[in-house]
Amino acid sequence: MNRLVRGISVRGATLAVVTSAVAAALAGGARPASAQESVRERISAMEFPELRFSPVKPRKETVRGVPVYFAEDRELPLVTIYATFRGGVRRFSRDHFAAATALPGLMRTGGTRDLPPDSVDARIELLALATSFGQGGGGSSSWINTLTGQLDEAVALWADMLRWPRFDSTQVEVWRGAELERVRRRRDDPASLAFSRFNRIMYGDHPVGWEMEPLDLESADLSQERLRYVHEAVICPDNMVLGVAGDVTWRRASRLLEGILADWPPCSGNLLEDPQPDIRTEPGVFVIQKEIEQSVVVLAHSSSLRQGDTGEYFASRIANSILGASGLSSRLATELRTRQGLSYSASSIWTTSRRDDGLVGALTRTRPQRTLAAARLLLAALDSVRTTAPEADEVEHAVGEIVNGFVFNFRTPLQVVARGMTYESLGLPDDWLERYLDGIRDVTADDVLEVFRAEMDPARMTILLVGDTTRFDGSPSELGTVTVLSAGIDDPRDRPSDRPSTPREWPRSPQ
Amino acid sequence: MMRALVVLSLIALSGLGLPAVPPAAAQEAPAGAAPGEALPVARHTLDNGMTFLILPRRQSPTVSLVVHYPVGSVNERLGNTGIAHVLEHMLFKGSEEIGTRDRAGEAPLMDAADAARDSMIAELFGHDPDSAEVRRLQSLTGAIESQAHALSIPNEFDRILTAHGARGLNATTAHESTRYFVELPANRLELWFLLEADRMKNPVMRGFTTELDVVREERRMRLETSPGGILETSLLATAFQVHPYGVPVIGHAADLEFLTRRQVLEYFRAYYGARNAVAAIVGDVDPGQVVEWAEKYFGGVPPGIPAAPVTAREPEQAGERRIEVEFDAEPRIMLAWRGVSGLHEDAAALSMLASVLTAGRTTRLYQRLIARDQSALHVSAYQGPGFAHPRLFVVSAVPRSPHTPADLEAAIYEEIEAIKREPPDAAALLRIRNQISAGEFRRLSSNLELAMQIAASQASFGDWRETFRLSRRISDVTPEDVQRVAARYLKPSTRTVATMVRKGSS
Repeated sequence: MNRLVRGISVRGATLAVVTSAVAAALAGGARPASAQESVRERISAMEFPELRFSPVKPRKETVRGVPVYFAEDRELPLVTIYATFRGGVRRFSRDHFAAATALPGLMRTGGTRDLPPDSVDARIELLALATSFGQGGGGSSSWINTLTGQLDEAVALWADMLRWPRFDSTQVEVWRGAELERVRRRRDDPASLAFSRFNRIMYGDHPVGWEMEPLDLESADLSQERLRYVHEAVICPDNMVLGVAGDVTWRRASRLLEGILADWPPCSGNLLEDPQPDIRTEPGVFVIQKEIEQSVVVLAHSSSLRQGDTGEYFASRIANSILGASGLSSRLATELRTRQGLSYSASSIWTTSRRDDGLVGALTRTRPQRTLAAARLLLAALDSVRTTAPEADEVEHAVGEIVNGFVFNFRTPLQVVARGMTYESLGLPDDWLERYLDGIRDVTADDVLEVFRAEMDPARMTILLVGDTTRFDGSPSELGTVTVLSAGIDDPRDRPSDRPSTPREWPRSPQ
Repeated sequence: MMRALVVLSLIALSGLGLPAVPPAAAQEAPAGAAPGEALPVARHTLDNGMTFLILPRRQSPTVSLVVHYPVGSVNERLGNTGIAHVLEHMLFKGSEEIGTRDRAGEAPLMDAADAARDSMIAELFGHDPDSAEVRRLQSLTGAIESQAHALSIPNEFDRILTAHGARGLNATTAHESTRYFVELPANRLELWFLLEADRMKNPVMRGFTTELDVVREERRMRLETSPGGILETSLLATAFQVHPYGVPVIGHAADLEFLTRRQVLEYFRAYYGARNAVAAIVGDVDPGQVVEWAEKYFGGVPPGIPAAPVTAREPEQAGERRIEVEFDAEPRIMLAWRGVSGLHEDAAALSMLASVLTAGRTTRLYQRLIARDQSALHVSAYQGPGFAHPRLFVVSAVPRSPHTPADLEAAIYEEIEAIKREPPDAAALLRIRNQISAGEFRRLSSNLELAMQIAASQASFGDWRETFRLSRRISDVTPEDVQRVAARYLKPSTRTVATMVRKGSS
């Protein structure tokens, strides 16, 4: 059985050709160091046997209408149960921003209908459960990992935390106070300040652009009513995809899931449409003064490219890898780090989603005295990729990294289950990974040049510099029209005048 | 309901078993042993002293690879701090062949760049430095290095491995360990043997001064602009006045400016011999093939010299030390008491004490500061830095406004005094023991993490199993042990307190 997955065969033999070509290109006419066979010659001569393995294929089932991905793994006496939910902060209006942000944390800490918070904590620790409750913009998720011996109790407790959160008032107040403190400390770390503020500049009054402010965190913003409103809209069967991996049979797992889902009412329907972002289009330079030994440089503009089975999308992934997403071997790291010694890391940004515009650009950190030089080097690198096609060996390297490393997509049954759940949530086809691999293998240097020309324009960049402007190597105005922002919170001066400011009275969502 | 978790049969680990294990490695684990002790790890030592640990695991056709050297910043000298970490960076620059188009052309240029830089340093620190001459020599060094750079193939070591599908190629340096790691598709394993042995035998430290700039940027990122990093560095520098634990792993800024390539090569020769290296290979491998390649590729690595022991001893501390660090950030506090090395008989009880204080939402300090008083955003207790030498027992806390570091400090002392008066209850210890038991399985989940654990254990203790026994010793700690070590070690006279205050606020 040489096939890795259906439709992809003789991978090992094919890939050996890819990498030999890369190795030969890297050798670049170098002479052997001695009469002995050189290291490069030995690499070129290496023959890599074809990988033979049968990848875990998760079982896809439905329990009470909820899709479930399942893979048994008897190696360790551990079971992971994972749930994702369509719906998160992005699906609510701003008056529910705090409640939607708090929801995952308060399902963990706020107790259940039957157990006060202290009892839940004690049981989690006594049963030695590992749990996580979180969200990422459009979706929410939670998982629990338990020893097999405690599976029934673990699942019962976890299900109660998801379905019957108590939202204990003391724990709500603990969360609110802690969030106010996190807001207060946001400016302490220059990178988190820069990323938070850059999203605000680019996305304006869209959930991606919202920064939590004290105004969002008044007691009424976290009332039982608001918390239940977001809970009933998100944590419900219609939004749910489940996954189970580990030391358990499907028979037992399905029985447990049946028990969870038996009488869970449908979603409330309170989710709003996911708002389309209206990403800033005009170029500009934003500066935040902070007396600190290293500046943060972020620059980007919008990109209309979508994730999908298109040549442009696959070309953009290779383009991103060549430019700055592949670590030391990328152009940005090679130039700013290896050649110039300006940065510890320099990387590209290219976000793509199924339905929304994303951002394309680059970021780095450098000493104050080289801030503008670093920004200019980033811009020059972004410019060069749209004027000249990449070298053949750059494309081969980027393709080889993905194609040869394909087996890392099958490391554990849990990973395979989680991927199935992600595709289900995003509406990607079951064979997306195979399509992705095929699409990547077809990318040419000309495809990369074309996608850079279509999507990358250094003249359109919005640039944010966070650092000690008194020590910069020139005036930020050399890069464009400057707007100075404050590092503080809830300060009207923070809001770029050319963006709609967040209204003091948030629009109400339908109750 | 208070009960210990069911003791799980080691049969559950059968998936990790492999018939082709050399008999010497297939010892029976003792009754009550952690599951990790039963792993079928094979050990093979080359004539030059390099040790290989091999654990076949056929979940997927991948392999995780670690080379661990039990040396780090504690092996540095004053004036050369940061050298262990700089070397770690330089080992990604290639070898006599990898990383260059023309070794014969670049070698004299690199020597010339060194000579120009030596002259610059001599001029700068001479009796009557001529600043124009210093600038000229700096510029000359840069110009020569640029010429050498033109003959290089930047990041070729990285490019070859990643083109073959490598994941996570990286390295880390700590106080007493440096490790290099990568994961590869299993059919590319021989490539790793060739490249790793090549850089171990013939490293060439190209682009030296440029890479020093990179390391200084890393220092700015991790330490100089990080409120937590800067406070911890200040705490360690105050608590350790003799021992190298007081020096940040990344080194002092001035040392990073003037390190030379020659010094880094000397450090390499002193500590990176084969006898000091332990490789761990976990994944879809054939142990017989691994041993054959280990002999073929690493057999020629020089054994090197035994690592010189670290002889520094921190003198007794007579009285509390207290510092305030001004920074552009909200306040935070770190409290540290003089403790013991990880090898000391009280280390396990201090570890349990740290868990009783902050490992979970039911613990003493979590309940007091975060749940009851709502005075803190975060609190954690741990022992560090390092393991092999007497270290600190640290409590780190971040206040919630309007509460102050002083409020947290007073509350932390009250909770510690309560433990001195009365041992923690058995239920608290049971919860922690149960988490340790479950953790003994979870720690086996990732091949790379497993490779790191057994390599570190073998390098530090001469026994890959020892890391799994440490957890068992912590589980055996009694409430009275916790009370005893709290009283013995958490005394005001050996305490150091470091507080961060916003610049201009005091």
